Amino acid sequence: MFGELLAPQYLHWLFDGFVLTLILSLLTCLVATGLGFLLCLARISPSRLWSWPARAYLALFRNTPLLVQLFFWYFGVTAMLPEGLVVWLNQPRSLDLGLFELEWPSFEFLAGFWGLMLYTAAFICEEFRAGVSSVRLEQRAAGLALGFKPAQVWRYIVFPQALRTALGPLLGQYMNALKNSSLTMAIGLAELSYASRQVETETFKTFQAFGFATLLYVLSIALLEVIGQLIARSKWYRQGVL
Amino acid sequence: MDFSVISDNLSYFLIGAYPNGPLGGAALTLVLSLFSGVISAILGLLLGIALVMIRSKVRWVLLGVLGFLRAIPVLMLIFWSYFLLPIVFNVDVPALATVVCALSLIGGAYLAHSVYAGISSLPAGQWAAGKALGLGTWQVLRLIILPQALPMMLPSFLNQWISLIKDTSLAYVIGVGELSFVATQVSNRVMVHPTEIYLFVALVYFVFCSSLDLIANRLIKPKAQPR
Repeated sequence: MFGELLAPQYLHWLFDGFVLTLILSLLTCLVATGLGFLLCLARISPSRLWSWPARAYLALFRNTPLLVQLFFWYFGVTAMLPEGLVVWLNQPRSLDLGLFELEWPSFEFLAGFWGLMLYTAAFICEEFRAGVSSVRLEQRAAGLALGFKPAQVWRYIVFPQALRTALGPLLGQYMNALKNSSLTMAIGLAELSYASRQVETETFKTFQAFGFATLLYVLSIALLEVIGQLIARSKWYRQGVL
Repeated sequence: MDFSVISDNLSYFLIGAYPNGPLGGAALTLVLSLFSGVISAILGLLLGIALVMIRSKVRWVLLGVLGFLRAIPVLMLIFWSYFLLPIVFNVDVPALATVVCALSLIGGAYLAHSVYAGISSLPAGQWAAGKALGLGTWQVLRLIILPQALPMMLPSFLNQWISLIKDTSLAYVIGVGELSFVATQVSNRVMVHPTEIYLFVALVYFVFCSSLDLIANRLIKPKAQPR
């Protein structure tokens, strides 16, 4: 069962998969945080015109499995898109940035990123919302009483405190995004889980292939955990300077 | 949009090939989530109590195992149990049992921490009062602590069940014929209307999860009101 280690070539596959996993989750987290923040603004808006669409979005994206969402975007939406756009999206091209060339991502990557990002944004929105509701209403009233404008109350009083509270859960959602990126293997994106499965079928060294992939996942989650601890202990966080 | 593909295959989506073949589709999704939900609840309760009661180094081992289960993707755990279970038990383990095992472990690991948090949220005076009445530690736990802590934990058990329903879709990767698998099967067979098929499947999951979500919210509400 244990046997010898994997040949360098297969380690290379796994490593490539890991890099793809990292890129996918990093991009997802960045964009989903922005979208989640906007969603949170819409969700807590007093106007129903904003809050109801946001509610519908949250209910839909949180109550359906990510796998089905990915299938929907990858198979379902592709069938509905105009043919010209699909061809354009599939076309390999590269962007010259001087120092290095940026390759146009595969269609699987685009679909995977899109699905994972929308799914993660819904959860991030809820963490932001929980953060905002942890700031008591009296704080806003006090801000207004001090002569702040409503926008200033949000900027200087509510958001700094909300963000502080939301930081821990937010990091948890980033970990979830990293773990959930494994589901993109179902639409054929060659990330870490896909690579481990591929190495397994190629070499029959199941234990090594899955073990290595698991190790990489655990390490990256542990790294996020450490970062979270460092932030929580930093002077910046304890004094609430934001 | 042409939803005739749904009505033509409706019974296949809902119950699979049953009664002429194995149960599948939405019914299997429910069965899978029910089994793994119950097992993960029991597992979570036992592990959570263990986290409270054990004070020795064993606790660190337990925390390590729980941390590990929470750190790896569900998909990897399904791969692992698919590969390890037959080796460990030396018998042919059906794919269904593999999925239930993996989901129960994940669910149990998450619930253990909720149970631990629920029990520790009770004031220490409850333990002291129980001891003062002459009860043993286990009696205090069974007669005083758990009856108060369990109702508080109920919403998190239900929430875990919701995410288990969503996670059963991962059984797709090892070819268990639950709803997502059946959907891809139908989609590959008819070759047209994938949009309609996946929209319908998402709707079924949505109905399952949001009805549970409603129940969970109902249960939380009365607690929020001042007594």
